[in-house]
Amino acid sequence: MSEPLLQVDKIEVVYKRVITAVQGVTLTVAKRRIVALLGTNGAGKTTMLRAISGFLGIDDARVTEGTISFEGSRIENLPPHDITGRGVALVPEREKVFPNLTVAENLSVSVARAATGAERRHDEDRIYYFFPRLAELRQRVGGLLSGGERQMMAIAAALMCRPTLLLIDELSLGLAPVVVEDLTRRLMTVRDEMGIAILLVEQSAAVALEIADYAYVMENGRVVLDGDRERLKSHQDVQEFYLGQAGGERRSYRDVKQYRRSRRWYG
Amino acid sequence: MQLFVNIIVLASIYALIACGYVMIYRVSRVLNLAHGELMMLGAYLLLATASLFSGHAAMALGAAVALSLVVGLLVYVFLMRKMTGEMVLAAILTTVALGILIRGLVVLLWSAQQQYPAQALGVPNPSLVIGNARISLWSAVLVLTNAAVYGGLFVFLRFGRWGIRMRAAGQNPLLAAQRGIKLHSVYALAWSLSTLTGALAGILMALDSGLTTSLPVIGLKAFPAALVGGLDSLAGALVGALIVAAAEVLLIYYVDPLLSDVVPFLVLIAMLIVRPWGLFGTREELDRV
Amino acid sequence: MFRPMPRASGYFHTGYAQDLALLQTRAERISLVIFTVVLVALPFIVSPFLLDLACQVFLASIGALSLMLLTGYAGQISLGHAGLIAAGAFTTGILAREIHAPFWLTLPASALTGIVLGLIFGLPSLRLRGLYLAVSTLALHFIVIYLGGEYETKRGFSTGIIIDPPTVGGFRLSDGRAWYFVLLGFAVASLLVCINLLRSRSGRAWRALNARETVAEALGISVVGYKLLAFVISSSMTSVAGCLFAYYRGFVSIEAFDLFLSIQYVAMIIIGGMGSLLGALLGAAFVTVFPYVIESLIKQLPNVQKLAGDIFAVNYASFGVVMILFLVLEPLGLVGIWHRLQNYFLLWPFKQRPLASARK
Repeated sequence: MSEPLLQVDKIEVVYKRVITAVQGVTLTVAKRRIVALLGTNGAGKTTMLRAISGFLGIDDARVTEGTISFEGSRIENLPPHDITGRGVALVPEREKVFPNLTVAENLSVSVARAATGAERRHDEDRIYYFFPRLAELRQRVGGLLSGGERQMMAIAAALMCRPTLLLIDELSLGLAPVVVEDLTRRLMTVRDEMGIAILLVEQSAAVALEIADYAYVMENGRVVLDGDRERLKSHQDVQEFYLGQAGGERRSYRDVKQYRRSRRWYG
Repeated sequence: MQLFVNIIVLASIYALIACGYVMIYRVSRVLNLAHGELMMLGAYLLLATASLFSGHAAMALGAAVALSLVVGLLVYVFLMRKMTGEMVLAAILTTVALGILIRGLVVLLWSAQQQYPAQALGVPNPSLVIGNARISLWSAVLVLTNAAVYGGLFVFLRFGRWGIRMRAAGQNPLLAAQRGIKLHSVYALAWSLSTLTGALAGILMALDSGLTTSLPVIGLKAFPAALVGGLDSLAGALVGALIVAAAEVLLIYYVDPLLSDVVPFLVLIAMLIVRPWGLFGTREELDRV
Repeated sequence: MFRPMPRASGYFHTGYAQDLALLQTRAERISLVIFTVVLVALPFIVSPFLLDLACQVFLASIGALSLMLLTGYAGQISLGHAGLIAAGAFTTGILAREIHAPFWLTLPASALTGIVLGLIFGLPSLRLRGLYLAVSTLALHFIVIYLGGEYETKRGFSTGIIIDPPTVGGFRLSDGRAWYFVLLGFAVASLLVCINLLRSRSGRAWRALNARETVAEALGISVVGYKLLAFVISSSMTSVAGCLFAYYRGFVSIEAFDLFLSIQYVAMIIIGGMGSLLGALLGAAFVTVFPYVIESLIKQLPNVQKLAGDIFAVNYASFGVVMILFLVLEPLGLVGIWHRLQNYFLLWPFKQRPLASARK
């Protein structure tokens, strides 16, 4: 893949002109790839998604340095509907469905770029094929869906916008592991059959590293480590601090002071 | 029987005006207190088109209605769009100021005298007889128009793609924007439709009983109808209009004619005490503001 | 106190008395003295027309200050201000007419009416907020106006009630200059009352419940009590203004207290700048003087005849335009402009750019 789909180049995002949330972050999403963005709370992951999808203005934030390019053209600081119109769809973390609309109505709300009526119906059928549970729930009101169904609904609605890049904020938050496994499998199917790229923000490194082809780890607004799945899974610090595998022996609390060794993000 | 007819006519007037308040509030949480003045402007535009298309009443009516739609659109694009994202109170006060501006302009352009668009158009206004009650032609037209407007709006909001999008934008503007909906387009649509229905009400009232610059007062009296039913419910506006109209007609007849202007507000206060979010409104509305 | 004071650097307080003083810098004291001299000398040098204008500004200030207290500080929106002024005016009118009550009786009676109405107007605020509260005050305004209208028609005063000038201890108050000083006195008294209320526990409580009601309640501030207090104090001040208005005009009629008057008062605090007593005063002056400015401007134009006949409409239209301009372009009002001007000159060559988010 010579030209990446999304190229974020050393961007800096500043809130209210004084708070720097993201500094010098470079990341690349290639076509038809799943890229994960890992990190704890407050690392700047959601800010990254907002910067890419154009929803910074609401919180009085701006991309003050660097560039974001999508399919070759610059998109930083553009109005959100412009960016969505170019093929970037966002599945937000909270409030992802319209609670008073049915599932079918939720799907019809999405604005699909350059789609005729027949194409929309085709899209809907395809969505129901990927997510058969939604087909059963067609007339159910959005507010009555369970957590997993809601996430499915949100992803489906975003897919109705015919994106080439899907941004997902916190895929697994609040969901049972069984549901998350099901969702991740479907995401990979969607990626394969619809040919879209996915940028996934996740707190659970285990979930993310199952499906991501490539991953970035962010801390305090910077990227501290990146690599493909194998590299990250085998990286000692990732194992200890994100996957909870602290090595074989049991530790006595007397050694607690040494437990928190400083993170070395090299090699 | 006459009382019943009066109630239906008054309720239709209030309902037709109230749906304008509801539409804008539902979609953008703004209370358009200039609705009465925009309604009046529509009726005055009819005067203007009547002299333009003298002899062709239907064309004059159509042109006035179309012009009102455009006015609503312009008001949004040039004024209210700048207030999206500001405090709701600031937006409401902007509409109040707009109303004041329109009132002044109307008097400057057309003078403060009473006008008779029906005469200008050359259309008669005979009295029809139903049972042992009388109703004027244009009042009957208004009742039918109201029914048609509500029917059309129900279908549009329920089944029309942009109707569903309007409902969505009203529920969660951020999510709607994330789904690719241009919020400005939705709001502009709401304002245009609202001004259209208001103008219809104003025009029909003016054809029925003449046009003065105190027409906006009726617009303000219709507001309690919208609130009683629930500011974000169309069905509620219908029901609210019936309740307010019934209260007004009955109290005028049995108690005191002077009560006419204050009854809607008495009903309003009563509703605010008992159930502030109206009969069919959503309860979270209160905390949002 | 609570606004940025770029001139107050270098002043260190060594005692509580210094901290509590209203005037804290020498510059403030000097400017107050100059201002007082000008105000006192004014009636003796200007024409009766301007004197009347000044009196109207003072009257409006009282109403504007009370509304600023209620809406600007305590955050309780009220669109029923005209109804309260009408209540005060009508109390005065009714008492003066029915039982020939003297001034020292009608004034407290108006204040009492204000207190009672304040409780009534304030009750919805315990359940409602923002838009719904504004609407309830609007409805109450109409009810008050209706009651006034009922009184007028039922008692045969369809053209209004005429009131004799008040006598205070044998001294008849009908001279323009005397009225000037009386109204100035009342305005200054209102200003001092407001300043002191805001510096005290009530003021802090109001600011707290304006910012976050639930947090204020959690901190132990009685939200119900302070909301009602705001309404009651504001309404009684407004009713007193209404009483003075009745005596000043010598004439009370219900048509003078329409919705437009309420809007004018709200415009005063918006144009002046919300959350600032100075804003209330500036706004009152602006809105009171505005129609006269428009009138004189119209007279300058060549096409006088047509427009002069519709001077009322021209007033309306231009008032609407100005209000829109302030709401859209300058949400911080005249005070915002004043502060920016101050900062430009005082901080030069530095520029002060405030943080983006204005008071929401």
